[in-house]
Amino acid sequence: MLTPHSESDAAYVIRTAAAEGKTLALRGGGTRAGFGNAVEPAQSVSSRGLSGIVDYEPAEMVMTVKAGTPVAEIEAALTANRQMMAFEPMDHRGIMGTSGEPTIGGVFAANVSGPRRFVAGAARDSLLGICFINGQGEAIRAGGRVMKNVTGLDLVKLLAGSQGTLGFLTEVTFRVLPVPQTVETIAISGLDDAAAAKAMAAAMALPVEVSGAAHLPQTVKSRFIGGALPEGEATVLRLEGLAASVSVRAGKLAAVMEAFGPITRLGPEESLMLWREIRDVHPYADGTLKPLWRVSVGPSVGHQLVAALRLEAGVDAFYDWQGGLIWMRMEADPEAELLRRYIRALGGGHATLLRASDAMRAHAPAFEPLPDAVAALSARVKQKLDPAGIFNPGKMG
Amino acid sequence: MSEAIEFLPPRPAVLSRRAAIIADLADLLPPECLVHEARELVPFETDAFVSYRRLPLAVALPKTTAQVAAVMKYCHRYGVPVVPRGAGTSLSGGAIPQEDAVVLGLSKMSRILEVDYANRTATVQAGVTNLSISEAVGIDGFFYAPDPSSQLACTIGGNIGMNSGGAHCLKYGVTTNNLLGVKMVLVDGSVIELGGKHLDAAGYDLLGLVCGSEGQLGIVTEAVVRLIAKPEGARPVLFGFETSEEAGACVADIIGSGIIPVAIEFMDKPAIEICEAFAQAGYPLDVGALLIVEVEGSDAEMDAMLKNIVEIAGRHGVKTVRESQSATEAALIWKGRKSAFGATGRIADYICMDGTVPLGKLSYVLNRTSEIIDRFGLRVANVFHAGDGNMHPLILFNANDPEDAAKAEEAGNEILKLCVDAGGCLTGEHGVGIEKRDLMRHQYSDADLRQQMAVRSAFDEGWILNPSKVFPLDGRT
Amino acid sequence: MQTSFTPAQLADPHVAESEKILRRCVHCGFCTATCPTYVTLGNELDSPRGRIYLIKDMLENGRPADEEVVTHVDRCLSCLSCVTTCPSGVDYMHLVDHARIHIENTYRRPLMDRLIRGTLAAVLPYPRRFRAALMLAKLGRPFAPLMKRVSALKPFGAMLELAPSSISGASDAAIPGTRPPETKRRGRVAILSGCAQPVLDPGINEATLRLLARLGIEVVVPEGEGCCGALVHHMGREEQALDFARRNVDVWIREIAKGGKDSGFDAIIITASGCGTTIKDYGHMLRLDPEYADKAKKVSSLAKDITEYLSTLDLPKQEPKKLNVAYHSACSMQHGQKITMAPKNLLKAAGFTVRDPAEGHLCCGSAGTYNILQPEISAQLKARKVRNIEATKADVIATGNIGCITQIASGTAIPILHTVELLDWAYGGPKPAKLAAK
Repeated sequence: MLTPHSESDAAYVIRTAAAEGKTLALRGGGTRAGFGNAVEPAQSVSSRGLSGIVDYEPAEMVMTVKAGTPVAEIEAALTANRQMMAFEPMDHRGIMGTSGEPTIGGVFAANVSGPRRFVAGAARDSLLGICFINGQGEAIRAGGRVMKNVTGLDLVKLLAGSQGTLGFLTEVTFRVLPVPQTVETIAISGLDDAAAAKAMAAAMALPVEVSGAAHLPQTVKSRFIGGALPEGEATVLRLEGLAASVSVRAGKLAAVMEAFGPITRLGPEESLMLWREIRDVHPYADGTLKPLWRVSVGPSVGHQLVAALRLEAGVDAFYDWQGGLIWMRMEADPEAELLRRYIRALGGGHATLLRASDAMRAHAPAFEPLPDAVAALSARVKQKLDPAGIFNPGKMG
Repeated sequence: MSEAIEFLPPRPAVLSRRAAIIADLADLLPPECLVHEARELVPFETDAFVSYRRLPLAVALPKTTAQVAAVMKYCHRYGVPVVPRGAGTSLSGGAIPQEDAVVLGLSKMSRILEVDYANRTATVQAGVTNLSISEAVGIDGFFYAPDPSSQLACTIGGNIGMNSGGAHCLKYGVTTNNLLGVKMVLVDGSVIELGGKHLDAAGYDLLGLVCGSEGQLGIVTEAVVRLIAKPEGARPVLFGFETSEEAGACVADIIGSGIIPVAIEFMDKPAIEICEAFAQAGYPLDVGALLIVEVEGSDAEMDAMLKNIVEIAGRHGVKTVRESQSATEAALIWKGRKSAFGATGRIADYICMDGTVPLGKLSYVLNRTSEIIDRFGLRVANVFHAGDGNMHPLILFNANDPEDAAKAEEAGNEILKLCVDAGGCLTGEHGVGIEKRDLMRHQYSDADLRQQMAVRSAFDEGWILNPSKVFPLDGRT
Repeated sequence: MQTSFTPAQLADPHVAESEKILRRCVHCGFCTATCPTYVTLGNELDSPRGRIYLIKDMLENGRPADEEVVTHVDRCLSCLSCVTTCPSGVDYMHLVDHARIHIENTYRRPLMDRLIRGTLAAVLPYPRRFRAALMLAKLGRPFAPLMKRVSALKPFGAMLELAPSSISGASDAAIPGTRPPETKRRGRVAILSGCAQPVLDPGINEATLRLLARLGIEVVVPEGEGCCGALVHHMGREEQALDFARRNVDVWIREIAKGGKDSGFDAIIITASGCGTTIKDYGHMLRLDPEYADKAKKVSSLAKDITEYLSTLDLPKQEPKKLNVAYHSACSMQHGQKITMAPKNLLKAAGFTVRDPAEGHLCCGSAGTYNILQPEISAQLKARKVRNIEATKADVIATGNIGCITQIASGTAIPILHTVELLDWAYGGPKPAKLAAK
């Protein structure tokens, strides 16, 4: 494992590898190891030597840190100033069965976002600027530290979520937001998946600023907040903000949601725990390697997808993002092909195989296969950043 | 007309085939979709950045993605440059053509194809105006959030090209944060779709890359955009201050206190006078600087937020606080603000700058801007999105006086460099276009630019898409 | 915007004025969005910004008008929606007026075009000729579909289709003389009888006279006035337009003088907003005529739309009626004269429920003779307007311009009335015949 301690070291390491034609695995804390297509690069480069907060201006809501900085360190600094990363990066250790420290570079490289994503944006939406080493060992800067910036091509977005296949992040600058004064959750009980989709769409059409909308069917519900959710399936809606405002909005939301089913209101403590567990996919953090899918589709078709799959295989699933994000475990083996066929039939989206046995990873592409023209374009883009093809070749397909 | 910024020399091989190219395009498009008579080309020679003008070779106004693809395929085959155009409201010259280019205008593709409330999306053709989306869904309690000041006229295609922002982006983000998918014609005429009603990309975030790429990567013909439920109410409040410094400090304090209003807009005295003359919105005329702070939500929420904001403003010596009393008044307040650029035309020609600076540097940059303007003997009106540090100094000059025009351009360049030096960037939401192209080296290193250009060439190896824009002409790869 | 005119060019006061107008334009493009032809055709050449540019290019180069410029300027409705939108205050109205005069003076139109324009200019402004022509049109109507198939004859076809099926005789309302008020006199006004309106719908001015009489307003119908000149003005026939203007100025100034010092007019009442826009512009049109400049200015300052005048009279609030009124604001009303709230407020006070159709800023396609000269675009705009109006589920449509009434009536079954006819009814007049079934 190579652990450069400066940008120039990192550039040197990569330049050398490129010259020698050696492939590299780019790593942060290794908490997402095992994610993506199985690849075995010759060497690993870790960002852990590049750690520390470079600049944090709470009044400007902007933070610049080195890419290997532990997420925990960043969160501690933010919490001290009552700020947060609005995109709620999930902690993959539970479901992946990994240990180690998640790093901020890893968060952005994998574009990791939690329940607030569907209203507040993904990690990539908070990311303002980056420094990275391209495949030729050049240090490249893109974006900046101001929120509005359209100077040139947005390489920031391109690198976010590129899973360490386009460049080695050395520094990131991102926007942070104030922590909401309080949080409350409205839980509607006893809705089936289809009814829940309707209820969540109705909630999102109200002017109450719902910041989390998840549906937890029977099979998973009892595994949240120590089994304290009320009887029946739970459709949960989160409200955040000033205390005075949250209580008013909660009243309005509850008044409309009553038509769908019995309402229970969860206070701040239970809410924080619930949404953290939803974020971290708690029910499936079971220490197994049972295949786990993360599916993104239009919110209104999520439940249709699950219903269709259930006709052909056993499916265990729950929904976040108003139903558009499905965390799913399936029993049948040829699941990848089946799942992806249905996604296409329902208007498109993508399925990512997050966790699987080695045997399964060997034959099922972890990422959604792209249409030919898009795949070709993506390959050309990769070639422009990593001409020698040394960064995690094959990891994304 | 200014000459300081060069365009690429026209390709002789294209110019010499002009007649043949027009004849071929006429085979690809219905007659009403092709403009080629010399006199009819003149109105397409510029956009809202009128300092520069170039006549195009022809103008294609296709009605379908298939026609866009056919034109693109043809132009690719014969190496004819293509300059995409939405409503031609670019303030950085993004839609200014060149002599050997076919302008590809999307103005005939202006239909809203689908509104899907269950998924909170609208699927629209690229030539749809920004405002018409909000108008179409407003009755059902939704809106499309990014609101560039030109939203009445500018198109979604153009917004995507420039990753446009607007006053309300402080809370809702800019175009890239509200764009879910596009249908796009690549340089060779093939058609791809990126994204859709679902979130996040399956592979690389090409959608994120395309947004803000100024027509250099392909021609977007359709878009899926995010709709948001309209807040229960919204209230713009006017805060008048003696000085710009006080107003600037107040902005930093509001944000620093953890309150994020939907919008914080700043106007200095000249800007206040200009906007008031047009909109008669009741802006106070006896103050040196004005903030328009908008809060939204229920009455109780707005009251609570405003109480905090008024308190903060009080600490900065606010002189006037005036809440809008009705929806009509609120609309007038915004009408005045959003018409600021155009309304400036009542008193002089202007060029509109678009730099972004860190919030803490607002006052510093404002003061330095005045110094620069004074040094050149010009006048300036400042109106900008203070909440995110996006400044829009309007440099006033006389377009019929070449010397004055040159001075205005030079002063503008200095101001933009100042923004970069203060830790900001050359453009917040108007794009680089032709205007800021040669300043790119001030913000980026050679390696940075080379990398961007390399990625660009993954989409358009022959550099035929909007080729005179964004990247300095030397050192292209 | 930068301009390039020589001092010699600028010596012409018309060019000088246009140059001033052009200098104000900053080419921001806002005007494109609210322009009916741009919205319909999606070509910047058919937008205000495009036309401004075409006109600028033509005037700067001192060129005679050519087919391209004429095509796009002809397509302009002169609805002035762009003027409402323009933040820079570009006086597009007078710029396009200048362009039309320039076209008329320097461009020879194709034969059929000349013929139709000549016919319109010779007939429409003269009530007797117009009435006779409508009689003939009744006979010609069966040929309309045929004519619409031949491109050069399309305007004739459109004309035939627009002609009403029943034609009323000369109206009493147009007979010169003074109408005394029915109650204590509280005002004195002159009224414009106009040219086409009394032929197409004499009921409008009849309702106006009844209402004003009941409100205590003495109304003078002056002897000798006629067409305001708008119809020919919009064709660029400036001399003819100015002649009409001078004649009307003479008539009104004479009437004012007749009344002596105390009994001048409070207003010159106009019941067709298209005419109102032009009469309010007399001061500008005749500014270069030393003999008429001041008189014309005086007339313009007295000109008031009927709703504008009624708003000053504080009409009492009436009991709500169960009638939904879609208010269609004529372009000449909302953009030309900037009268937006007055008619709606009057209708509301009179007890009607007023509904605003969507896209209210867009023209219905009538625009003077536009529906005859540009039948295709006009038809598309009419369909769009009718769609928006019908979406309001209104019982009746109210508007303030005869052109719109004729145009919209030809596209919908919902009855359409002049605002003043509804007000007359609400304040004690007879129920309009068109509402018999409601």
